[in-house]
Order: sequence, then C-alpha cells, then structure tokens
Amino acid sequence: MAKIFEYLDERLSITELRKFGEKKAVPLHKQSFWYYWGGISLLCFLVQIVTGVMLIIYYKPGPDAYNSVRSITYDVEFGWLIRSAHSWAATIFLVSIFVHMFSVYFMKAYRSPREFGWWSGIALLILGLLFGFSGYLLPMDQLSFVATKVGLAIPENIPVVGHAIANLMRGGYEVSEITVQRFFAWHAVVLPLIYIPLLMFHLWLVQKHGNAVPPSEEAKPEKERMTIPFFPNFLMKDLALWLVTLNVIAFFASIFPQDIGKIADPLGPAPVGIHPEWYFMSSFETLKIIGKLIPGTIGEAVGITIFTLGLVLWALIPFYDVRSLAGKRGRLATYFGLFCLAVLIVTTLLGYVMA
Amino acid sequence: MNYPNWEVPGIGLPWVIGIIAIFHIMISHFAVGGGLYLAMAERKAMKEGRTDWFPLLERHSKFFLILTGIFGAVSGVGIWFAIGLIQPEATSTLIHNFVFGWAMEWVFFMVELTSAIVYYYTWNRIPQALHLKVGWLYAIASVCTLVIINGILTFMLTPGQAWLSVAGTGNESAYFWNAFFNPTYWPSLVLRILVCLSLAGVWALVTFSRLDEATHGDSKVKLVRWSTSWLAPAFILMPFVFAWYAAMVPATNKHLLELGMSTIGSGSFTQITRVVLMSVMSTATVAGVAYLFAYKYPRDFSPGHATAILFLALIATGSTEYAREAIRKPYVIGSHMYSNSVRVREVAQFNKEGYLTHSLWAPKDMTLAMDVGRTMFRGQCMSCHTIGGYRSMKHFLEERDYKAIGNVLKMLHENKKDSPYHNFMPPVVGTPEEILDLQIYLAALNPPPNKGAVASR
Repeated sequence: MAKIFEYLDERLSITELRKFGEKKAVPLHKQSFWYYWGGISLLCFLVQIVTGVMLIIYYKPGPDAYNSVRSITYDVEFGWLIRSAHSWAATIFLVSIFVHMFSVYFMKAYRSPREFGWWSGIALLILGLLFGFSGYLLPMDQLSFVATKVGLAIPENIPVVGHAIANLMRGGYEVSEITVQRFFAWHAVVLPLIYIPLLMFHLWLVQKHGNAVPPSEEAKPEKERMTIPFFPNFLMKDLALWLVTLNVIAFFASIFPQDIGKIADPLGPAPVGIHPEWYFMSSFETLKIIGKLIPGTIGEAVGITIFTLGLVLWALIPFYDVRSLAGKRGRLATYFGLFCLAVLIVTTLLGYVMA
Repeated sequence: MNYPNWEVPGIGLPWVIGIIAIFHIMISHFAVGGGLYLAMAERKAMKEGRTDWFPLLERHSKFFLILTGIFGAVSGVGIWFAIGLIQPEATSTLIHNFVFGWAMEWVFFMVELTSAIVYYYTWNRIPQALHLKVGWLYAIASVCTLVIINGILTFMLTPGQAWLSVAGTGNESAYFWNAFFNPTYWPSLVLRILVCLSLAGVWALVTFSRLDEATHGDSKVKLVRWSTSWLAPAFILMPFVFAWYAAMVPATNKHLLELGMSTIGSGSFTQITRVVLMSVMSTATVAGVAYLFAYKYPRDFSPGHATAILFLALIATGSTEYAREAIRKPYVIGSHMYSNSVRVREVAQFNKEGYLTHSLWAPKDMTLAMDVGRTMFRGQCMSCHTIGGYRSMKHFLEERDYKAIGNVLKMLHENKKDSPYHNFMPPVVGTPEEILDLQIYLAALNPPPNKGAVASR
C-alpha cells in the first residue's frame, strides 16, 4: 500500500495537495452551516451528470422522445429510478443554489475581492434555470408540451427581437419534435459546455479568496476568530452532508418517482391545474400580477423590464455595498436582500395557492 | 365480518398504523438497545474509573426514561388501539393464539418499566455496583420483550406449516411454539437486535452532541466515539443477516420485491421495491455519516449533526418496517388470513352464502345497490384503500369504465394464479349479486359517471 502511495505521490504530488488542504482554513462560527450549500449543489450537479449520461443511453430526441421516456419509466430496469433521481437532483440542485446565493448575499460575500465569485454564481444560477427549462420538454408529454409553449411565449414579448429568439428556440412557429431536438442539444451539450468551465472558474475563485465571514464575525479581532482546516475536517463534514443529500435524493426519487403523462397533443387541452415548476413560479406569478395591474402588451413589457432591472440591481450589489463592515449602505443592501427573499417566497406560495 | 369498520379518509387505515408504528419502533428499539448501552457504559465507566461519565449517563438515562417510558409506552398502546380498530380479526387471532406469549410480554414490560424508573432515580443513591445490577435487570427484561414480540410479529409473515395445518380447528394453541419459532424468527431477531444496538448509539449521540466542548471536551470525545461504535455491528453484519432473512421468506413474498424494478405503474404494488431501495440506501450510509460527523470529529459534533444521523436512522427504520409489513401481501397472517380479514378457508363459503350474510355489523335491510356496494367496499377494500386519498380507488379506476371495473373485480374474485393481482391482492369474495353491487358503487366513484355505468341493478 505504501509503495502504491509512493508511486502515485511521486507522479501526482498527493502530499503537496494534502499539505495545501491542511493549510487552507475554513472559518468556524455560528453561521458555518451555510458554507456547505455550495457543496450540496455541486453534488447534485454531479448526480445529474451521471444520471443524465445513463438516460442518454435510452432517450431518443425527436419523434420518439415520448415513447423512449415511457420505456425508461415503465420497461427499463431501474430506469424510473435513474430518471427520478435526475429530476429530484435537479430540484435539490436549484434549492441549494438559491440557499447558497442568499447565504452568500447575507454574509456579504459579494464584497471586494469576491465580486467575480458573485457574478459567476448568478450566471450559474441562470444556467441552472435554463437546464431546468430545457430538460422539462424532453419527455414530450402534454404537460411539458403546454408548459414549454407558455414558457416560450415570455421571450416572444421582448420588443423587436422577441419573435426571432422564440422561433430560434422552437425551431419554427410551434413547439414540435424539432424543438425537442434543439432543447436536447441545449440541455445535454451546449449548456454543460458553458456551465462546466464557469463552474471551474467559480470554484477557483472560492479557492483563491477563501470563505467570507458574516459582518458579525468580521467585527471580531483576528485572534478571536476560529477556523478549521479544509482538509480533512471541512471536507469530511462535506462528505457526510453529501451522503445525507444522496439519501434525500433517493428518498424523493423512491417515494415520489417521476411519472409521465399522456403524449403531447397540440390540439389537446392543457392538463388540469397546470402550473410552472416551483423555480419559475415566482416570476410567473409576478408577471401575472403586473399583467392584471397593467393589461395588454404594455403590461407584459413592463413586467419583463422590472425583472431585468431587478436582476441587474441584484448583480450589481457589489458596486453599491462596498464597505467591509456593516454601514448604512450595508444595512440597505440587507433590507433589499430581505425584500427580494420575501417577494420570492410570497409570490411562489401565492402561485401555488392560486393554481 | 365480526367487527364494525372504521373509516379514515386521506391517509387511510394503513397509515394510521404506519405512523404510530414507525414512531414506536424508533423508540421501542431504543428501549431495548439503550438498556444494554446504559448498563455497558456504566460498567465501562466503573471498570476504567471514568467518574466523569456518571453525571452524563445520568442525564442520558433521564432522556431515555422520558422517551421510552412515556412516548414508547404510549405509542405501544396506540398500536394496539389502532390494530384493534383496523384489523380486529387478525388482532383477535394473535390474542387467542398467543395468550401465553402476551402474558410473558406483559411481565417483562412491568419489570422493564419498573427497573427503568428505579435505575434513573437511584443514581448516586444506592451503591454503584447495585445500581449497575438494576441496569442489567432492565437490559435483560427489555431484550426479553423483544424476544417475545419478535415471535408474534414474524408469525404474521410465516406462521409455519405446522400451525397452518391446524388453523381453524380450535387446536391452534397446541402449536404455540411452532407458531412462535416460525421460519423467520431467528433472522428477524438478529436483525432487530442489530437495529436496537444501532439506535442505542444514534440516540446516545443525540444526548452527547449537546455537551459543551469547552467544559466536557474529553468526556464528549470519548462518549461520542464510543456511541458511534454501536453502529458498527449493524453496518458489518446487516447484509449477511438480511440475506439470511430473505432466504427464509417465501418465494411469493420475495417476488413482491421485484415488482418495481422495471416500472412505477400504479396499482402494481411497485412501491415495495422503491421502499426497499430506500432502506438499503439509508442503512448503508447512516454508519458512514456517523463516522464522518461523530467519530472523526467528536469535538465539533453538534445537535445538527446528530439530527442528520437520527433523520437517516428514521428513514432506514421506517422504510424497512414498511417493506416488512408490505411483503406480507396479500395476507395479514401468511397463507391464513387475507389483508381484508377474510380467512383463506372462508373464501368458498362467502362466495356461496354471501359476504354480507356473514358480516355481523352490515345493515340487513339494504335494498339499494349503492348501499350494498358501499358496505362491500368498507368491508373488503378499506383496510388498504381509501376513496380519494392513500391508494385511492378513484385514481385506480379513473381510466376504467363500468365494464372494465367489472373485469377487474372478476379477476380479483377468481384470483387465478396467473392473475397480475394474485400476489398482492386478496380475492374479492361474495355472491355474484354482491360483486355486481360493488361494481356499481366503484363505477360511481368518478364523476361524471364512467361510460356505460348502470345506476342500479
């Protein structure tokens, strides 16, 4: 064993890596729990890669999409498990990204020198949502068909270029087999090609700047702050949480497996009680509320503009809240974060109640 | 049948038992393993001169007494109350067949509860050696309760050919020991003891996670590590003992485990496979999580970490118990009584003379088909199904018209060996008229009425 280690160490510098990991410190305080959410989202992403590759073996984009997913769900041994794990891992992936983003926000980990970590994180969230949207159509059942149709009507409202964007995504004027092929290409090739390098960049930044501490901890003198080594202490706890997360994914995949509805029928009615996935529910409900206040195309344009502005403000917060300790601007930024969080939760809940 | 029906919409009758049982099992297995834990911990502390452990063990024994003596005892009675209402025929069989067993069980319960109270209240009041003896008395009594109840629980899955050959003759109690030491008795006992030891460790971790590292640093390290080691026997032996258990389970029951490998089709009982997967996953990982959180870094071990381990233990226990209950299908007592309380030997008689004729609580003056159908549903379906909640009949039948419902009932009534339902559904019994009325009732569950539904006979 020692000889094998020696052989590998000479070639891969394992000892050097270990020493580096031991030297790297992770802050230990009451809010340390939030540091693990980035790791949880990473695990979920890895689960999606593994299960996604397995699904690709049986999935047939295009006219056979529905039947292939049906076969995965009802014929292939443990096909339902892989598909359900893929779907639930995606849900937990987005939950953990949202939790991670808000925890980063409230710890003010977007401040200098971590601005690029914040921006790359937002880009990863947007890509994560696009993963969700593009993957949703792939079973090509009535629910995913209608949901995609409604979803693609939103970019259509963008002035001037809206139609062109929507048609490009659909591969025509209607959602069809061509759309499935395009969405599959986005979901399985294009988005991962963008996502993975961006994720590497994000992780490199985390590594470079280390974990930020919340303002309450920042206020303490340096010698009063506690840390634990990244290796092995933090990593082992991270691994333990990964095991817990795997159980959570397995629990949901086993108890609430992903079923498939009836085959998509362009002339068929929308399924009863149809509503967007939870991660789009807030934006859907907000657009609906704005649409009621300002009816017509103007309302839709106003809604999209408010969204875009909100996202820009959210992304630009590092330029506004620049102080290293909590000052007036810092407090205002916190209130803004609380407001956004409240809007997100309330509109999501409202969406489910109204649905 | 001999007893009235109880209706629980939404979660249905199975989950009334299920919820109480899973809660109870988490605590009752702790009651058994925890007794051994306390006695062995006290012995270890005495032997190694760890006097710092005594106040901490006293604290743990208080938690132990409250949890097992109050919640464990109450939920145990709750199970009796629930099964008496939900499966009165099966409960009656268990009582009549195991009178001597129950008597022994209650003696051990009394010793167990009394010694648990004495154990806690005599910390620092009686000599340490005597106190330890009280601990051992508790531990032995609690293991004995498991030894007894295990015989009765395993009997329900595998009553054994000797008992089955006399079932219904009035001579069953002469075969008490055959029924008690049935084919799955020993593997189940070993499995449960392993679970008890694990849960003793898990619950102890809950107590000791709350120790302040600054004031109890060394004690915390030792106790957390020692508690974690209680999960090791189960982690190592569980696969082998499970294989032994599975080898003793009849092939027809084992077949239920395979139903969900390739499908999640509703109505085909695929959830057993899914739940077993959950059980395997959580059992395999709980020790890993405990090792990484507790054993490796006992000083940092917090109540949050302990909760995560407890959560996994809950999933492992809950899913395993669910699977154990579910693989008994279509029986509630293997090859003797179906899950709708109809005894195997009564099927032909009920088909000839009528199910409701033999149902004491069924109104005798029913003239409407819907009333007869509803009574049939309550008697024969409701022990597992609800109308619109858990195992919803509405959902199962929404794609079926009147004729298709008739075909399903015909298949269930005939209960042929090649029927897709044979392995997990009890036969629907009754005269052709009674079954027709059940068909009418079921067809009317989904408004607007299923195509071709007939409103009356």
